[in-house]
Amino acid sequence: MATPKIVYYGADWCADCHMAKTYFARHELSYEAHDIDHEPGAKEAMLAITGGSSAIPTIIIGDVIMQEPTAAQLDKALELKPSLEQSNIQDVIMVGAGPTALAAAIYTTREDIDTVLYEKGVIGGLAATTDWVDNYPGFPDGISGLDLAENLRKQAERFGAKIELGEVLDIAHEDGLVKLSTTDGDRYAKAVLIATGSDYKRMGIPGEDTYYARGVHYCATCDGAFYRDKKIVVVGGGNSAVQEALFLTRFASHIDLLVRSELRASEVLIHQLEKNDKITVHLGVTTDEIIGDGAKVEKVVCTRAATGKKVDFVTDGVFVFIGLKPNTGFLRQTEIEFDEIGFIKTNEKLETAIKGVFAAGDVRSGATMQIASAVGEGATAALRIREYLQHS
Amino acid sequence: MAKDITIYTTNTCAYCVMVKKWLGVKGFSYNEVNLDEHPERAQEALAISGQLAVPVTVITKEDDSQEVVVGYNLAKLAPAVA
Repeated sequence: MATPKIVYYGADWCADCHMAKTYFARHELSYEAHDIDHEPGAKEAMLAITGGSSAIPTIIIGDVIMQEPTAAQLDKALELKPSLEQSNIQDVIMVGAGPTALAAAIYTTREDIDTVLYEKGVIGGLAATTDWVDNYPGFPDGISGLDLAENLRKQAERFGAKIELGEVLDIAHEDGLVKLSTTDGDRYAKAVLIATGSDYKRMGIPGEDTYYARGVHYCATCDGAFYRDKKIVVVGGGNSAVQEALFLTRFASHIDLLVRSELRASEVLIHQLEKNDKITVHLGVTTDEIIGDGAKVEKVVCTRAATGKKVDFVTDGVFVFIGLKPNTGFLRQTEIEFDEIGFIKTNEKLETAIKGVFAAGDVRSGATMQIASAVGEGATAALRIREYLQHS
Repeated sequence: MAKDITIYTTNTCAYCVMVKKWLGVKGFSYNEVNLDEHPERAQEALAISGQLAVPVTVITKEDDSQEVVVGYNLAKLAPAVA
């Protein structure tokens, strides 16, 4: 069957519009695109078609007018996929491809359990963006986060795990299966493991968004190279902040490490910090505002907790490592239960409130935020999933 | 359709690995400018993207127009190379 003509109306700022465009690209569909913000007359033309409704994306497929369609609705309109066939049911789908899911996949695939991992970001997760991992057992000299992630990926794929680059948008229990709405359409699995991990928190202070990626950063291994011979501020006092500050001394001429209260990093890292004359540690300092000239960062305004006095740190860039937040935004409309901070609640079998859906690793309430424990939980989750599949 | 794809990367950047992996899976070839090996070109990446970040992917279309994607962002990358 020939594909009907597809016409799209959307805007740059609209996340659902990007999803729709990604959907078309994935299915290699050509379409007529109209940007309602920048193309003269496009918005008026869209409103004429929709009868005045301004919801975007508006997508016209043949004679069918759709607004904010889901991938499943697009599938149906384009007759691309049957919604549910036996061949479309996986034994296990894992959401995320960080250390937890990769470890779980090593176990499930070795049991001949058909396993697909969905990753919207980096294979290896936050671990892959970490400069150096010194506390993961089995590597006496340490290992780079990127190499550890690559090793885990290779090991999981050796036993047959399939990693797909895409995003899961929603999860629900349906007809004895778990249904996942993804950017590639609906998928079904007998069991699902949520292992989406965590990401670095933002400070929520003035200037942080204004200078994002133009002087404010959350990934030293990505963006540190732009700060050769420049002054940097690193905010945070835990292992990540100290580890990444040490990494950034490869580039920076000097680093001010701003710690709200006390250093919480491991003794080994603190000793390395003390030996490094490029880093000055400032304890008891709250970070209040990032100020620049509109194009680049010039200074960070802080308050010394002991005296209440304001103090400025002149800098070319700010790297922020103040703790982790769980990646659970896509689950907010589901029946999954969360703790007060937003981590997923599970029982002792790592089961969530949705039947057949498990959670493990950094995203789970009670997680210790260590790669080693994430991998251990991945193995545990795999064994619990095997039990579930045997008895369901 | 992309006529040329150039990616600015660093050795330690996991998102750079993902962009290269995704382009490889999709069958696109690309040129890589490694800023650890060519630090003098960091200013060029900044001028193109307006951001102090990698990966920066520059897609040159058949009509010589260019699209720039910063980061590993499939929602922008997929339509840009299509």
